[in-house]
Amino acid sequence: MLTRRGAILMAAATCAAPTVRAQAAEPFRFALTPVFLDNDAAVISALRAALASAMGREIELVQRRTYQEITGALLDGSVDAAWTCGYPFVQHRAELSLLGVPVWRGAPLYQSYLIAAADDPATSLADLRGGAHAFSDPDSNSGYLVTASDLARMGEAPDRFFSRAIFTYGHRNVVRAVAGGLTRSGSVDGYVWEVLNSVEPGLTARTRIITRSEKLGFPPFVARRTRRNEAGIQACAAALQGFDRTDQGQAVLRLLYLDGITAGEPLLFDGIAARMADLGGG
Amino acid sequence: MKLLRRFRVLPVTLRVPLISAALMILLGLVASQGVLSALGRVQDARLSEAARLHVEGLSVALGPSVLRQDVWEVYDILDRARAGNAGQRLLLTVVADERGLVLAATDPRRAPVGKDATEFEQGAVAPQAVRMTGDPTLRVTAPLQYQGRTIGSIVTELDVTDLLAERRNVTLWLLVGNALATALLAFGGWLAVARILRPVGALVQAMDASGGAPRPIPAAEIPQGDPGLARLIQTYNQMTTAVEERAEAERRLADRERFVSLGRLSSSLAHEVNNPLGGLLNAADTIHTYADRPEVVRQSAELMRRGLGHLRDVTRAILDQNRLDRAGQPLRPEDFEDLRLLFEPEAHSRSQVLDWQVHAGAASLAGQPAAPVRQVALNLLLNAGAAAGVNGRVGLRVTNGGDGLSITVSNTGAAMTEADLARLMASGPLPPGGGVGLRLVHDIVAGLGGRVQHDRIDGQTVIRVDLPVHGGKDA
Repeated sequence: MLTRRGAILMAAATCAAPTVRAQAAEPFRFALTPVFLDNDAAVISALRAALASAMGREIELVQRRTYQEITGALLDGSVDAAWTCGYPFVQHRAELSLLGVPVWRGAPLYQSYLIAAADDPATSLADLRGGAHAFSDPDSNSGYLVTASDLARMGEAPDRFFSRAIFTYGHRNVVRAVAGGLTRSGSVDGYVWEVLNSVEPGLTARTRIITRSEKLGFPPFVARRTRRNEAGIQACAAALQGFDRTDQGQAVLRLLYLDGITAGEPLLFDGIAARMADLGGG
Repeated sequence: MKLLRRFRVLPVTLRVPLISAALMILLGLVASQGVLSALGRVQDARLSEAARLHVEGLSVALGPSVLRQDVWEVYDILDRARAGNAGQRLLLTVVADERGLVLAATDPRRAPVGKDATEFEQGAVAPQAVRMTGDPTLRVTAPLQYQGRTIGSIVTELDVTDLLAERRNVTLWLLVGNALATALLAFGGWLAVARILRPVGALVQAMDASGGAPRPIPAAEIPQGDPGLARLIQTYNQMTTAVEERAEAERRLADRERFVSLGRLSSSLAHEVNNPLGGLLNAADTIHTYADRPEVVRQSAELMRRGLGHLRDVTRAILDQNRLDRAGQPLRPEDFEDLRLLFEPEAHSRSQVLDWQVHAGAASLAGQPAAPVRQVALNLLLNAGAAAGVNGRVGLRVTNGGDGLSITVSNTGAAMTEADLARLMASGPLPPGGGVGLRLVHDIVAGLGGRVQHDRIDGQTVIRVDLPVHGGKDA
């Protein structure tokens, strides 16, 4: 298997096809965030190659720093598809539709981990009061919503409960912040932590999992609902869901430690919707 | 001071190498100091440059994040900069905001976010002023400038253990190298100086050897490469030869004097025996011829008795003579003849011209005791002979001057040395070395109430001894 450091993936795909712009000559624009993986060149080029091969057209991978930027780009049509998080998908369920949901360890589900330094005596979220905390992204389910909604259930808010809450815009960065001692604790994608535990055991060894959330819908590939029936978007969905049947697709799945990509159901994300309700937001 | 005194009594063959070794050590120390100070300057410059680049690079990268107070971004930049410098000298970098509070640090456990950064700035200097102080950790601080204004500060701890170790290693190698070089050069210096000074050592040994009797140094040991030393040793060898010749001459003279005395004694004995011998033989013949004539026999017997009595007197006189203290004998012209007999062969052996003038009459000579005067004259003559050298000229003049006797000995050749003059003219302690003949002359003349004068006239050394009249006639 190819080596790579931060490996996780992200990405989403949109297929959008405003009639004006749906011209075969134009590249298909697919947006990713570094929230999952740290711009791993091997993953990005493998993904581009697999998509291009399966879709029979040029792929332009667009990278943005935050989920908010990805969502905005999806909604304003500047990208065709994206790999984003379940939280923005639920937030914009009316405008977005699923192209596929990755299958990890046999299911399109993952968990959020609450982590602290390896030598930290805390055993629950309540023990972390007064310490600094690292979130990954304000629109991340595992990197923000889970912990924030848990605090809301305790009648707390992150700004009051923690002495300082910082956003690192990357799950690997959350692990780095906790391992390096910048913050006492962090909220991280369980899938990312586990993959990191395989490829960078020295980093995760300096952290300890305090609590794991219930299983929630894996970050999905999405596109605008209004463009769901466009040929490009359809081709994209078919390409993603067929990764496990092509060599290039399997290479991508190996790099991302995924089993495959399934069509998925919006019901997968009901857990996230419940937490959003607890938080009092969307 | 005690050490200095002890050093001064060391032999010169040890002192010179020691001094050269000390100078080498001094030179080594000065050179080492120079090297170390140059190394220190180089290290300081390296350190200062590294610190300046680090701080400047961070300033550029951190500016926007610090302005936004973005803790993660600042930490991320610092952390990646630290990872890029893995194994190098950056121990800790702390970024503080305008209020002096820690925004982020490479080690958040040491410098937690929000902590007062003042304690990290203690002892910190500007990057261009950073210098090695012997401390393994140095701190550098610089203001964080962005868009023309100061938005915070950076403090960096530098690990200079490697530089200190490098300096220690250089010091050690310098020390070892210099010690070896100094030892080697000092040993070489000792060998060279010992070799140069070997003839001097040989000279000292030769002078001290065999209980004060100086022995000459073999020609093979004379250093031809050093004209000064060669001349010194040649002069010394000439001196030892002169001393030997002098001793040999004295021995020969003593032998000769014994033989002369013996000859004179035997001739006078023969003469005294021969004189009555004819008479005695006549008397014996007469008795034989006229044995029947009692008067004739009586007369002849009487004659024989007188003759034999004379012989008895002669033998008694000889016995008496030999029993007498000769020092008490008055001086006679024959004494000077004896001296001439003794000295002439010496003068001839050197092809010297002898000017012998005895003008004093027997009467005036008789006013002096024979033995001491002979000794004085002989010593002065031997000395003059030695000084005149080959083909020189030696003179003796004995005159009846006023109410005393004057003996003048002159010679060509080199003037007397100060040491010799001191022996002859003064009564002070004897200078070391040299013979005792001249001092003996001085002492005898003084004992006789006389005086010695020395002159150097027309290339000649003239020694004049004036002796007052003694009651020699009565002695």
